Amino acid sequence: MAAIETNALNKRFGEVHAVSDLDLTVESGEVFGFLGPNGAGKSTTINILLGFLSPSSGKVRVLGKDVTEQSRAVRQRLGLLPEGYEPYPNLTGREHVQSAIRSKGADDDPDALLDRVGLDLDDAGRPAKEYSTGMRQRMTLAVSLVGDPDLLIFDEPSSGLDPDGVSLLREIIREETDRGATVFFSSHILEEVEKVCDRVGILNEGELVALDTIDNLRDQVAAGATVSATLDAVPDPLEVESVDGVRTTSVDGDTVTAECTTGPAKMAVLRRLDERATVEDISIDEASLEALFEQYTNGSGDGEATAEADRGTESTTAAAATGGESA
Amino acid sequence: MSFTAVLRDDFTNSRRSYVVLGVIGALTAFVGLIVYQVADYQADAFRALVDVSFFFFLVFPLILIPLTYLAVAGDRERGSIKHALGLPNTRAEYVAAKFVSRASVATVAVLVSTFVALVLGAVFYTDPVDPLRFVTFAAITALFVVSLTAVFVALSTVTSRRSRAMFGVIAAYFVLGPFWFGFLPVVNLQTIVDTVADLLGVTVSDETFGYLQFSSPTTAYLAGLEPVYEGVVGNGEYPRIDQNYVDETDALYTNPWYSWLVMTAWGAVALVASYARFRVAELG
Repeated sequence: MAAIETNALNKRFGEVHAVSDLDLTVESGEVFGFLGPNGAGKSTTINILLGFLSPSSGKVRVLGKDVTEQSRAVRQRLGLLPEGYEPYPNLTGREHVQSAIRSKGADDDPDALLDRVGLDLDDAGRPAKEYSTGMRQRMTLAVSLVGDPDLLIFDEPSSGLDPDGVSLLREIIREETDRGATVFFSSHILEEVEKVCDRVGILNEGELVALDTIDNLRDQVAAGATVSATLDAVPDPLEVESVDGVRTTSVDGDTVTAECTTGPAKMAVLRRLDERATVEDISIDEASLEALFEQYTNGSGDGEATAEADRGTESTTAAAATGGESA
Repeated sequence: MSFTAVLRDDFTNSRRSYVVLGVIGALTAFVGLIVYQVADYQADAFRALVDVSFFFFLVFPLILIPLTYLAVAGDRERGSIKHALGLPNTRAEYVAAKFVSRASVATVAVLVSTFVALVLGAVFYTDPVDPLRFVTFAAITALFVVSLTAVFVALSTVTSRRSRAMFGVIAAYFVLGPFWFGFLPVVNLQTIVDTVADLLGVTVSDETFGYLQFSSPTTAYLAGLEPVYEGVVGNGEYPRIDQNYVDETDALYTNPWYSWLVMTAWGAVALVASYARFRVAELG
């Protein structure tokens, strides 16, 4: 069963089409990264998943239930870490967690949850209005974990967290997926998404422009990688440009750099250089998720990618990929 | 289970702010002052309740505003509503808990201040205090403040901005209170009704106007207090009580139960209507 499934989901605010024909499937047990620039429709989509907003048209099923009709049942099995949220100022961190325990009828130990998210137990007894952003984020993370939810929706979860907190968040995500939970992870911090997510969906101007694993997306937009090799002497002619999958090459002193659009091209470039010179050092820089994100959302592909929502195919036919070729 | 969870959170959060202390403290201090001052020229403590009731009618709604106007609008603007409604709490439970929490504080304020009035009455007045009159006063006043709390919380429920909520409750206070009662010489219900009647070329009978005038929770509150003065209305001993409660008509609105019904209806209709809108409101 899919944890989240939307079919032709639309949301309009007057003339503004916030979400357009969104077809998205997030399978149980996966960590799904939900990306997009500001105003792309991510928060609107999340608010619809939570029942805070009603879709203008289309179907939304979360944990097998229609959120427009069974929102409460969905939220019983869901953990939420919302963005732009201020806790009740005069309630302590512990009381926020206890509130969630009572609402869900769970039997968690609030202190154990607070300890798990790294909130000092002395701090847990202080009013939330005295908390820093990071402490609030840890407290809300503890609230989201109450009742071992089947689905965790994290909206900008790294916001305000220090590096230790970010590391702890990754660990918690791993532990939660190990026990079978699904994590829907919306973030602007692409490095974080890259580290924790099995698949990502990129939303741009309300449309899903990409949906796949990060590696597959790299291949599809031909973002590939940059191979740099330091040689004892640069051969002339270089004859690396002719390697299949190499987009450009450049020479800086004894260092040859080749931009590869496919995975096999990286090894082929190194073999070619090794045949013609002594390779003293190499480095390979994979295209960052940021670069991918730029290509999908900055119009080089016209934003007309067609998302193949069927996870079984694990593929996305992206017009953006064409744009990527010429980028 | 969810209702009590939201209620507990809201009550605890409010209790720890200065608002609750402020509402109970301010009300008790003012009521105590009124009862103490009236002792200078009255022998019966219950006579002070006439002045206390006008204080409740005119000033207490203003004290109630900081307790109520942010009940839901504040949560919506701060985003705190995502905590309560991200959990398996329904919107109905959320609104009901907010109302019960705020109404409880208002009711406690009424009970505490009336108890203080009773004690001061026993100490400073020459005639013996009749506790039943104070209990009746507390019960009817509690109904009034609960009704008004419902109206204010309802206005907070249908707005997502604290500024709009503030404007809404102040406007409601003015229209339902001073305007409806006729506190101001020109800007009042009587002027509006007369003007409309003139424009339409019709006459509004005293009885029809009476129904209209007692259809506000604040005017209904004053009229509904008649049982507090049971036995003295019309005997000429207290001209001000006679002026307020000796009826020249036997229309339904002169019955105390009619006034209680009006207050109850205002609270119930306001809450139901606001919930109907909140149930489908776009949050977030």
